[in-house]
Amino acid sequence: MLQIDCYAYANRLLSVHPGEKAAFSLVTMIICLASPSPVTSLAVILLAALLTIYRAGVPWRPYLGIAAVPALFLAFGAAAVAVSFSGQPDGYLFGLSLGGTCVGVTPRDLGIAARLFLKSLGATTCLLFLALTTPMVEVVSALRKAGVPALFVDLAAIVYRFIFVLAETAERIYISQSSRLGYKNLRSGYISLGQLAANLFIRAYRRSQALFTAMSARCYTGEIRVLETGHRVSVKNVAVIVVLDLSLVALSLVNLP
Amino acid sequence: MKSRVFLAVLCLPWFSLGFPENAHAMHIMEGFLPVQWCGMWTVLALPFLILGFRSANRLVRMKPALKMLLGLAGAFAFVLSALKIPSVTGSCSHMTGTGLGAILFGPAAMTVMGCIVLAFQALLLAHGGLTTLGANTFAMAVAGPFAAYYIYRFLRKIGAPLWLGVFTAAAVGDLTTYLTTSLQLAMAFPAADGGVAASFYKFAGVFAFTQVPLAVSEGLLTVLAVNFLAAHSRQELQDLAFLRKEALQ
Repeated sequence: MLQIDCYAYANRLLSVHPGEKAAFSLVTMIICLASPSPVTSLAVILLAALLTIYRAGVPWRPYLGIAAVPALFLAFGAAAVAVSFSGQPDGYLFGLSLGGTCVGVTPRDLGIAARLFLKSLGATTCLLFLALTTPMVEVVSALRKAGVPALFVDLAAIVYRFIFVLAETAERIYISQSSRLGYKNLRSGYISLGQLAANLFIRAYRRSQALFTAMSARCYTGEIRVLETGHRVSVKNVAVIVVLDLSLVALSLVNLP
Repeated sequence: MKSRVFLAVLCLPWFSLGFPENAHAMHIMEGFLPVQWCGMWTVLALPFLILGFRSANRLVRMKPALKMLLGLAGAFAFVLSALKIPSVTGSCSHMTGTGLGAILFGPAAMTVMGCIVLAFQALLLAHGGLTTLGANTFAMAVAGPFAAYYIYRFLRKIGAPLWLGVFTAAAVGDLTTYLTTSLQLAMAFPAADGGVAASFYKFAGVFAFTQVPLAVSEGLLTVLAVNFLAAHSRQELQDLAFLRKEALQ
């Protein structure tokens, strides 16, 4: 169901310590956000995308497909930032007047929007690096080690486990409904989807009770403890991350406007 | 010519968000907010998260089965947000589940689950982001559910029928989320001419095309779902109502 999740388990960086990958992703993201120069954003985009494709071995075609969705959202968000309304039409690069007001794009706003798009895309490629190389289970166990409260971590683990179970349930209900002429027009579509949501909720509720029964039979009293696979921190990787991020910082300092 | 091209560009967000692509609830994408605004919205969302967390913790200690229920509810919200709403034009939009969740579980629990679901959407779907998690949590898991829940309570108290209460709650929940997100964007990107207010009208106007129909669809679907639950699963609803009362104490 989830393409990103598949690559998270099937990439060449799977055995790398999740903390290293998270640190690289987050630190690079912050550098990208904090740096005002578009050169840094471009460098971050290239670095994160190339690392994901060449180092982690995610094929480039699906990678572009995955990255295109947020990039499209970003493009429209940036377009909304670029457009502005004003009483006087002068000062616009291009625009059109509707009644008394003028809708258009000023050079200032276009600059802001372009820089915003690059910066956001840089941050998104960093997010994708983390998402495509680190399985959710390891993110959750990294959170546990980082001292996030136990309830939060346990909830995250249960949510992750049952996303797939409930998605499969929803798919089956959907197929059954479709084969009985559900969704054949707008009206039946709404009724079917409403019933699907209600039924899915009841299934989730019953499943949570079954899960509690099963866990109680295994001595659950409020705490979920699981064995975790250990990862070794690699000095070489940490050094590479530090060098890469320091050179990004240097690059943005050199290119200060 | 120039103005015609421009008009086409202006219509693009509408077509692309509504037509071939998905109309999701408005998540602010990764990296879209400047660092100081990321920080501010995280700080604003934190007290709600801590409160929700405390009440959840107390409940779980009282009734360990609740941890599973909350986890399943989070997975339910995630799957619900992936379902397509049928529509006439062939476009597809998605439920947010904010109203349904707030009515079933109460706003405090929704804040904690909403935050987890948003983090999952970022990491599993590249939808939303980690740096904007605070801002998105504030709009979708604090403002939306609280507005939905209290509207629902208020309408039920003054004797409005169930369907009206549920419809209004779900629609208002979505609209509140959308307006909060517009405000967050406007504050981060004020217009050169007219400042935050002008920018707010602009964002609210641009996204109204997808978000207002979404709110109406969500309201209708939530009514259908709650009616179905009221007809077939009274016992579960009564259990949940009891839990909600405990959580709010």
